[in-house]
Parts: sequence; C-alpha cells; structure tokens
Amino acid sequence: MKGFFLFMLTGIFFALLQSSVLPLFLSPNWRPNLILILILYLGLSENLPRALITGLLLGALQDSFCGPSLGLYVSVYLVIVLVTRVLSENLNIESPSLLLLLIAAGTLLQNLLVGFYLTVLADSAPVLHILLPALPKQLLINIIFSAIFLVLLLRFQRLFGYRSGLAGLIYQSKHHGS
Amino acid sequence: MRELLRRYQFLLLTIILVLATVILYSYNLRQKTATTFFERAVLTFAAPFQSSIDGIADTVSETWRNYLWLVDARQRNLELEQENLELHSQLQQVQEISLQNERLRKLLAFVDDLDRPALPAQVIGEDASNWARTIIIDKGIRAGLRNGSPVVAAQGVVGRIIKIAPDSSRVLLITDASSAIAALIQRTRTRGIARGRGADLSIEYALRDADIQIGDLLVTSGMGGVFPKGLPLGQIKSVEKDQFGLFQRVKAMPAVDFSHLEEVMVIVGENQ
Repeated sequence: MKGFFLFMLTGIFFALLQSSVLPLFLSPNWRPNLILILILYLGLSENLPRALITGLLLGALQDSFCGPSLGLYVSVYLVIVLVTRVLSENLNIESPSLLLLLIAAGTLLQNLLVGFYLTVLADSAPVLHILLPALPKQLLINIIFSAIFLVLLLRFQRLFGYRSGLAGLIYQSKHHGS
Repeated sequence: MRELLRRYQFLLLTIILVLATVILYSYNLRQKTATTFFERAVLTFAAPFQSSIDGIADTVSETWRNYLWLVDARQRNLELEQENLELHSQLQQVQEISLQNERLRKLLAFVDDLDRPALPAQVIGEDASNWARTIIIDKGIRAGLRNGSPVVAAQGVVGRIIKIAPDSSRVLLITDASSAIAALIQRTRTRGIARGRGADLSIEYALRDADIQIGDLLVTSGMGGVFPKGLPLGQIKSVEKDQFGLFQRVKAMPAVDFSHLEEVMVIVGENQ
C-alpha cells in the first residue's frame, strides 16, 4: 500500500512538473514524459496486479493533464505495463544500460500506440505530423532524464533500502515475479 | 460480570479517565480566581529554577551585546541587503505589471471590436504531453464559462474550452491535431477548414482553382457557431498545387504566438 501511494504521489508530482514547470524552460518536443519513465519502472519493480492498478490510475492521471479525452493513456499504459512485465521476466533488468534501452523502447511503443489510437480511433491523423518529427528529441530527452533518475536512485538506494520496492538495480524488488 | 469487566478493562478505564478529566476541568472553570493546592505547590517548586534560568539568560545576553556586537552589525548589514533585494524585486514587479497592463490594453481593444462580452483569464499550465496542444486557464464554471466557449488573444484566435472545472478550464488550441475550424481567406473569401498540425495550420478543402496567395490573412468564417466571424487565425505561408486533384495544399502560420501566451480573453456572451 505504501508503494502504491508513493507511485501515485510521484505521478502527481511528475504531472504537475510536466504541465506547469517544464513548459517554462522546454519546448513541447523537448519535454520528457516523466510519467512514462515511472510506468516502466513500475512494470519492472512491482507485481502484476499492483503494477496494473497503479498503471491504470497513472494513465488516468496523465489523461487528466493532457489531451482532450480521458482513456487514451489508460489504455496505452496498460499495454506498456503488460509488455514490460513480459520482457522483464526474460531480461537482466539489473543492468542500468539495459534499463535505458528499455526506456527508449518504451518511448517508441508509447508514441506508436498514441499515434495508432489517435489516427484510427480519434480521426486525428495530423497528429502524426507532430509525433514523428518530435520522436528523436523525445527519445533523447527521455533517456537523459532516465539516466539522471538512475544516477540519483543508485546514489540514494541505500537510504530507501534495497528491497523496498524501488529500482531493481542492485537487487530486484521482493514483489518482482510474485 | 467479572469476566465482562476484565474483557473491557482498558475501554472502561479510558472512559472513566476521560470523564474524570472533563469533570475536573468543568469544576475548575467555576473556580477561576482561586489557586488550588496543586497549583501553589508547582509554583513554589518552580520559582528558584526559573530565577536561575533568567539570571543565566541575562548574563549570556549581556555578554553577547557587549563583546560580540560585531555580529549585530553584520546582522544589520544582512537586513539592509535583504531590504535592498526586496525593493529591487518590487521595482521589477512594477515593470512586469506595466508590461501586463500594456498587453491587457491590446487584448481589451481587440475584444471591444467583437461587441460580445468577454472575460480575461491567465494561462496557468500547458499540456503534459508533447503531441497535444492544450493550455489551462484560471477561470471556470464559477466565472460563468462553459464548454465550447471561444478563447482569443490580442493577435487572434487561441482555441476553445474543452474541459471545465469550477476554477479552471482546459483550452484546445487551434494548433492541436484534433482541432478543425471553418475558415476563409479574407481577401478572396475562399473557404476551407483550418486543421492544427502542432506548430502550424493546414487548410483543407481549399479548391484547386481558388485564388490563394502567400501572405493572405486567414480568418474564421463564423460557420459552426463557435467562433465569431472574421477573427484572425493566421497568415498563409505556403501554397502547393498537384498536377491532379480537387484541392490545393495550403499551410498557414497561426496569428498567435502560443509559446508566449500569458493572458487570454474568453468570449462568454452571444452575438449582440
């Protein structure tokens, strides 16, 4: 329960950061999707039911902070959490560089799903003109921010404890795979 | 009975203690001026300690003032520096208010031409994604806004309200991919649909033989009933015609600079 609230509070903090603070310094294409990083982290470090519920709620949270309709990110993040879970069973997720690769793959998948949903379901095909040119910048900025988070996490992991549901860098969470 | 008392021992004890303190408190409320034995005992016991502490405090304070007075001077210097900073900050605020005043004057002049009541609002947030183009303003239902209300700036159309809360609203910008506005070229009255493309607009359904030139002003046509007729949307920046096809490909730059948007006006009333 503590982990759930921690993820939700971090999600709210990230959403506020993305909508109110980052726009002051960064143009839309250069703004990282911090909630996506959180979702990938969630998929890697929490058990499936908890990751799903938290992922759905974080999706709804992101939907409330962006775009015209609720449900887009709920669905996108559900898929990302499931894919991350499947991948994490077969990958050495304790490797930081692999985590960065996962972030890159997650960014690509998220853009693909958003583009697909908006083009096919919402009839907003022009969104591809926005998504595609922004993709390299998004990849770069998400990787940079993830690297910063990883460095901070590795530095402060001792404070949080290795098995408190955080990271999965030195040791995996006790919930992982259960 | 004994078994029952033993089971609820803690609960009963708590209730009794709470009741006892309440009774004691209400009793003492009636005896405001009288000093009880307990109070007198405490005062008597504490007096020497208080006196000693007071003496020590006086000595320390005197030593501090007499021998470490430089710290006072440093403190005074810090206070003056702080005051200087505050005054400087106030001056900057005055300059900022002056600039804001200028922007609002332009905005009001623009809205005056509309002949429709409008409400000023501040932009307090942007979209949390990189593909959607929405902003959040600080007015909502309580201010009389409603879903679909058009939002404008001094340079032209900003968008329309799509989500509304008591004290804030989300505005879909005209550059969002899901935004489509009935538009016309001011010079030739050629009709089309202005669709958002993130940074610019594409004019759809502009007939191939229609006269559209780079630099032409694109305005709202008033069709659809959301935006009043004749509001600036943007300026044509490119026109392409394929060898075949019914329509030409036209792009326009929005009239409003969305990266520097701070104040907007929400049109609340109907046509007068």
